[in-house]
Amino acid sequence: MILLYSPDVEKILLKVQKPGRYTGGELNAVIKDKEKVEIRFAFCFPDTYEIGMSHLGMKILYSQFNSYDHIWCERVFAPWTDMEALMRERNIPLYALESGDPLTEFDFIGFTLQYELSYTNVLNMLSLAGIPLLSKDRTELNNIVVAGGTCTSNPEPLADFVDIFFIGEGEEVDLEVMELYREYKKQGKNKKEFLIAASKIEGVYVPSLYDVEYNEDGTIKSFTALEGAPQRVSKRIMMDLDSTYYPDTFVVPLVEIVHDRAISEIFRGCIRGCRFCQAGFLNRPVREKSPDNILNQCRTLCDRTGYDEISLSSLSSSDYSDIVGLLETLTQWSDKSGVSLSLPSLRVDGFTDDIMNKIKTVRKSGLTFAPEAGTQRLRDAINKNVFEDELLKTCHTAFAGGWTNIKLYFMIGLPTETMEDVEGIANLGQAVVNEFYRTEGRAKGRGVNVTVSASSFVPKPHTPFQWEAQDSIDTIHEKQKHLKESIRTKKISFNYHAADTSYLEGIFARGDRKLCKVMLKAAERGFHFDGWNDCFDFAAWMEIFDECGIDPDFYTTRKRSLDEILPWDFLDYGVCKNFLLSEREKAYRSVTTPNCREKCSACGAAKYKGGICFEKC
Amino acid sequence: MKNVRIWFSKTDECKYISHLDLNRVMLRAVRRAQLPIWYTEGFNPHPFVTFPLPISLGISGLRECMDIRILDDNFNIKEISDKMNPYLPMGIRVFDATEPVYDPKYITYARYNAEISSEQVSSEVLRESIYNILKKDELIIQKKSKAGMKDVDMLPYVKAFEFNDDLNNLSFTVTLPAGNTKNIGLPLVLKAIEKDLEIEIDYKITKLDMFTEEMKPFA
Repeated sequence: MILLYSPDVEKILLKVQKPGRYTGGELNAVIKDKEKVEIRFAFCFPDTYEIGMSHLGMKILYSQFNSYDHIWCERVFAPWTDMEALMRERNIPLYALESGDPLTEFDFIGFTLQYELSYTNVLNMLSLAGIPLLSKDRTELNNIVVAGGTCTSNPEPLADFVDIFFIGEGEEVDLEVMELYREYKKQGKNKKEFLIAASKIEGVYVPSLYDVEYNEDGTIKSFTALEGAPQRVSKRIMMDLDSTYYPDTFVVPLVEIVHDRAISEIFRGCIRGCRFCQAGFLNRPVREKSPDNILNQCRTLCDRTGYDEISLSSLSSSDYSDIVGLLETLTQWSDKSGVSLSLPSLRVDGFTDDIMNKIKTVRKSGLTFAPEAGTQRLRDAINKNVFEDELLKTCHTAFAGGWTNIKLYFMIGLPTETMEDVEGIANLGQAVVNEFYRTEGRAKGRGVNVTVSASSFVPKPHTPFQWEAQDSIDTIHEKQKHLKESIRTKKISFNYHAADTSYLEGIFARGDRKLCKVMLKAAERGFHFDGWNDCFDFAAWMEIFDECGIDPDFYTTRKRSLDEILPWDFLDYGVCKNFLLSEREKAYRSVTTPNCREKCSACGAAKYKGGICFEKC
Repeated sequence: MKNVRIWFSKTDECKYISHLDLNRVMLRAVRRAQLPIWYTEGFNPHPFVTFPLPISLGISGLRECMDIRILDDNFNIKEISDKMNPYLPMGIRVFDATEPVYDPKYITYARYNAEISSEQVSSEVLRESIYNILKKDELIIQKKSKAGMKDVDMLPYVKAFEFNDDLNNLSFTVTLPAGNTKNIGLPLVLKAIEKDLEIEIDYKITKLDMFTEEMKPFA
């Protein structure tokens, strides 16, 4: 057998941690003859192998692209710092795991953007591959840099680097763009001609075809489409999930990854409409897969991968319309085949006896719920629609079922939050502890452990809170301190996210094109893995902002006026601005909005003519 | 129920996975191959597998083995390789399954082949330098043991190197103590040489076979 990675790589593999991440050769990895394919696509995940290999979107598109004979899609991950240092020292360019070829040999270099703090990894990976960072410096019709994923809902901070952004779900639009490329390549057209033609495909945003002018205060004055590109770019969406491509196998990693199991996607979107949650607004309307289809996909995946664990993926599993029926069908199969089911993303009100009994075979590692806020007033303001007695009832069920570990997720820094709301988090944690000791039939001889985890709220585009001021680092620190002091029992372990990380995330989440020069400087200084404590250097970032003459508070702690042109306003995710405004106003009054299954609130997503908007009640 | 020893190679990219990862990969394949295997009976039942002599990360193995228990005495164990290989990465190939002759505790030696080179010196100089080490009285290196670090003399093991004559591709074979009682890893021997010569050595090690105290191939 011929090894695909180069002898130079071979020489450094024994000098780095977990070399199995850099070799490829996994079961089900797709190897093709590069002479016989027309399009080579390097699917890059801007984080480590263990994280990227756990990502469902990458698995779907990898298999789908490779189902076409003329396309060869390969995987690329960000090498950890030890590997990167050796690669740079020895001039080894970043390579794809299947062929071992450097990225410069690919037609497309595609990134998935899942997290703002991975942006520096995008640029660092291009730099490791020796590919010019700026779109304008890549003049040929090859090495086309494309990006998709959640964060393209505000692509502007990467506008100078990426040639094409995919808006919404990728299953169709990615292929249409590749098809166009194939045609234009044959016709000998240039990159500019290709980009102009691509911009006319629905779901494509070509940033170089838009001109942005600014007011003196730094806000946007005008955003103008050029060369016939659309003024508004609409997301792409797969309306019938049962006929949408889903992989029948996954690449099975040789080394342990974060989520080392099969995944079945049961629906997209979320009925809830929590006002802080970007995914809930970007992915409307809710579209479900049929139970038969889910069962078939679970069965095939486990057969072909050898996994004995499958997790049901969605934004809120217990909101599947017939979750009990689905679990019944699935457990009949899984019990027989020795496969264990896991059901993440359970809502507080979704953990019923029925569901608990069905997933009981799963190890009792711990249950996680997300009340998100400490008081009813604030939970109403964010439209979480979860009540304290429901949470306690759920915990009661869990304690009676033998669980002793409960994790509770909260956010601090939510709009309208007061110190009373912050204290409410500690009180709710205490109430759960008390509930344990009230539960008859609780696990004997073991104490309870409630983990209270508080992240800092970052306002996101396309949500009702997109105009809000983000709490300053000082305010967050104050609230964290207050919360810590409000917890008076050892049964509660408290942890929280670093405030400065959330601050940087906030800058890029609602940033504009002016940030591209900050990104470029960060890349030149070798920034990478900002989402990892080992690498994150807040002071160094602030230095760059200073040098660029950009005030980061402009993007974070500044409350936007309602008539301001927001950098992402040109993107159409199907939810109209008036709906966001009315949700915002209801938040201020702590008034909730019914979920999509109870009542349609006319957000605008019905224009896609399907999903829950047209379900019979 | 009968004990079965599954023989496999672990080479190419798969030499870079750790013993824990190998364990996981093999378990998945055993399960998917639907071998009538005995499961442990604890709180969290899983297929029972053990490795008589785990191989270190970075070393290729041509004749590695793993023990399982088959519930069905009539099961034809020669089918195991065909059943497992479709579920294994190309770097791991099962080539045989036998009923164990020796208990794992009888493993006493392992035989290795190593290709060595250095970016700092030619192969000829490298070989000469190693020969020169043999004139010394000892070659001490610290080895991690349960009782902490202790000094071990690597010289007897360097003496056992049998070099080939091909200087374009300098390599040697060596037999070293292996198993539960005494285990000497070849990378450690090479590290002692690196330290003594003050150069960096690139190596590719292949574990060829395992032997009993009487130098009978472990079977």
